[in-house]
Amino acid sequence: MPDRPFIETIDVVKTYKVGSSMVTALDHFSIGIEEGEMVAIMGPSGSGKTSLLNMIGGLDRPDSGAVRVKEVEINRLGEEQRARFRKNNIGFIFQFFNLIPSLTAIENVLVPVMFERETPVKRAGELLERVGLGDRFDHLPGMLSGGERQRVAIARALINDPMLILADEPTGNIDSETAREIVSLFRELNDEGKTLILATHDRIVAGRAKVMIKIRDGRMVRGKAHSRDGMRSLSPDKGGGVPE
Amino acid sequence: MNETDRSFNSATYALSHIRHDLFRSITTVVTISLTIAFILLTTSLLFGLVNEISETDEKASILDGMIPGSVSMFEEFRIDGSQLSKESKASLVNYLLVTSVLVIMVAFFIMFNTMSISVQERRGEIGVLRSVGFSSREVMKIFLTEGGVIGMISFLSALFLGTPFIVNLAAYLIERGDGGIFFVQPMIPLQLVAIIGALTMLLTVFTTYLAAKKTLRVRPVEMLRPTR
Ligand SMILES: Nc1ncnc2c1ncn2[C@@H]1O[C@H](COP(=O)(O)OP(=O)(O)OP(=O)(O)O)[C@@H](O)[C@H]1O
Ligand SMILES: [Mg+2]
Repeated sequence: MPDRPFIETIDVVKTYKVGSSMVTALDHFSIGIEEGEMVAIMGPSGSGKTSLLNMIGGLDRPDSGAVRVKEVEINRLGEEQRARFRKNNIGFIFQFFNLIPSLTAIENVLVPVMFERETPVKRAGELLERVGLGDRFDHLPGMLSGGERQRVAIARALINDPMLILADEPTGNIDSETAREIVSLFRELNDEGKTLILATHDRIVAGRAKVMIKIRDGRMVRGKAHSRDGMRSLSPDKGGGVPE
Repeated sequence: MNETDRSFNSATYALSHIRHDLFRSITTVVTISLTIAFILLTTSLLFGLVNEISETDEKASILDGMIPGSVSMFEEFRIDGSQLSKESKASLVNYLLVTSVLVIMVAFFIMFNTMSISVQERRGEIGVLRSVGFSSREVMKIFLTEGGVIGMISFLSALFLGTPFIVNLAAYLIERGDGGIFFVQPMIPLQLVAIIGALTMLLTVFTTYLAAKKTLRVRPVEMLRPTR
C-alpha cells in the first residue's frame, strides 16, 4: 500500500477502568497525518488528547484498532520493542518538562543516548545552543526557569534526531511570551521537515500549526477524519475541516 | 566547559543522584551500615570463638584492668577458655551461627525495604527514562549501579566506623547452659572482611534488583501520570 499516510490510527478504542465503571478516552478514533505536517490537537480537558499522543508515541496500546507510524504497526509491538521504537523515532515533550532533577542541562540532553558507545557531547552542546541555552550547560533543572526547562526538554527530544515530535501541552506551564518563542522553535523544526503533533489548550499555539484537529469525548469533531481504506474524507460535522 | 573530557554514563548518573539527594542517601547509607555492623558483630564473635579460644582469658584480664571489677563480678562463674569442653564450644558456635543467619536475614529485609522506598520515590524518573526509549534492562542497570555504590559506601563506613567499637570497646560474655561465663575476643581477619564485603554487595544489588523489578512492572504511562 503505497498511499498510506505517515502516521495513522484506525478505529482506535481506548478505555480506562475507574473503579467499577469504564471511561472511554478514545472512541473509534481514526486519523491520518502526513510526513512533515504540524498538527495541533485541541479539545477540553479529558477529551483524550494525551491518550491519543500516548498511542501514537507507543507509550500505550489501544484496546482495539491499529496505530501505524512509518509503516510500523506499533500496537503489535511489545513494551520493550516500543521503547526501542521510541528511542529511534520519537521525541516526547511534556507539560511538566520531566527533566531528571539531579542531572545538569547537558546531561539531561544526553540521557537518551547514555548507553551509546560514544556519547555525542558535542551534539548535545549544539542543541542547547540552538534552543538558546548556550550558557546554561551545567545548570540543574532547579536553577532554570520553566521556559528554560522546556527548552532543555526540547533539546533532549532532538538528540536522536527523531522524525516525529510529540508535545503534550508544551506551553501549559510557561508564560505566554516564552510560549511564543517555544512555538517558533517548533515551527523551525517543522520547516526542517520534522513532523510535529502538539496537544494544547492555547489558541495562539494551535493557530501556528498547519493543521488543527479538535476532539471531544474521544471523537474528532473537527479536522480530517481518516477511513479504513486510507482514503481521506472530510470532517463529519463541519463538512470541511482543515483551517487556513 | 570542556567538552572532550565530559563523560556521562550510569556511574555518573548514580553519583549525581546520590549527591543531589544527599539527605536521603545518607539515611540509606546509615541504615545499611547499621545492618552490616550487626552482621560484622556476630560473625567476628564466631571467628574469635573458632580461632582464638585459648586467648580469651587474656582479654578478660585486660578488660579487668581497664574497668576494675568488671570481670570479678562474674568471677565465681568464669571458666577458662581452654577448659571449655568440645561440646560446649560446639554449642556456642552453633548459637552464633544461628544468630548470624538471623541477622543476615533481618539485614536482607531492612535493605529491601530501604531500596524499595528509594526506587518507589523515583517512579516518575523511571517513566521518563522509558519514554525516551530505555529498555527495562537499561533502567535496571542505572539502579543496580546506584545500589552497588550505596552498598560499597555503606560497607566501608560500617567497617571503618564500626570495627573499633566491635573489637576494642566490647568484651563479650557468653553464658553457657550450666551458668558458667566465658569471654570471647571478636576477630576481624581479612578473610572475614572479604566475605562481608561480598555479602554486602550481593545483598544491596540483589535487593535493589528486586525493588526495581517490582516497579518496572508498572506501565510507563502510569509512571508518567502527574502524581496523585
Ligand atoms: N490512567 C488512567 N486511568 C483512568 N482514567 C484515565 C487514565 N488516563 C486517562 N484517563 C481518562 O481518560 C479520559 C481522557 O484522558 P486524557 O488524559 O487523554 O485527556 P486530555 O485531553 O489529555 O485531558 P487534559 O487536557 O486534562 O490533559 C479522561 O476522562 C481521563 O480521566
Ligand atoms: Mg492531557
